[in-house]
Amino acid sequence: MHSWGYRLNAVATFSLTVLGVMCGMVSFSDNFNHPTPSADVRVLNINWFQRHPDGNDEVSMTMNITANLQSLFTWNTKQVFVFLAAEYETPMNSLNQVSLWDGIIPTKEHARFWIHTANKYRFIDQGSNLRGKDFNLTLHWHVMPKTGKMFADKIVMPGYHLLEDYR
Amino acid sequence: MDWQGQKLSEQLMQIMLVAVAVAAYVTGFMIESFRIMMLIYAGGVVLIALITVQNWPLFNRHPLKWLEPSVADEYSKEPPQQQAAAASSGKKKSTKK
Repeated sequence: MHSWGYRLNAVATFSLTVLGVMCGMVSFSDNFNHPTPSADVRVLNINWFQRHPDGNDEVSMTMNITANLQSLFTWNTKQVFVFLAAEYETPMNSLNQVSLWDGIIPTKEHARFWIHTANKYRFIDQGSNLRGKDFNLTLHWHVMPKTGKMFADKIVMPGYHLLEDYR
Repeated sequence: MDWQGQKLSEQLMQIMLVAVAVAAYVTGFMIESFRIMMLIYAGGVVLIALITVQNWPLFNRHPLKWLEPSVADEYSKEPPQQQAAAASSGKKKSTKK
């Protein structure tokens, strides 16, 4: 510590180490947050339901998506990535998950929302198994932190059904 | 900076830095603002650097006592071996211009 350069280096190194420890503690504090999110999806209309020439089914639908994800936000939340997936079983796959819509929620204020939308991404099956199919719509989210661990969870909403015929 | 001053500077730096970190974390946690925590910490680091890096008079309260040049010469005459005495006197002659 005999010269100013030596002392400056000591301050710089120690302050960065302490900063690392602080960020670890910030991430750890996220574990004390117990969120209570809620969501509801209403399928308003099946716009069309067709089979491709190569044999894959495709559906287009219009939905109302309502959710309150405000309790997910902490002081360490940068944004929440949320997506809605249709989940169902087929003879070929025990679980199919098709992402229909996603969004980024930048702040707590934006986390309580209601949107009316057609599916952003195409709902295409691997095959033609969708006629008369029961499926779940699951809202998944990833809470992206400013520092540290990312938390992910979901709400499963069962009880959606596709009709027997193409239209 | 003298030895005691260096020790004081280092200890002050470490204790103050940890204290600023704790204060920043607790404040940020209470008001739920990550940004405020980082601002308090950054400000604290700059302040601590100004206090501990610069050679303030506070760090020079125990200056080292260097021997006077004439006293040093007396000591150099003392070694018992004559060779050592000749060498040191030779050195003595060469340093005196």
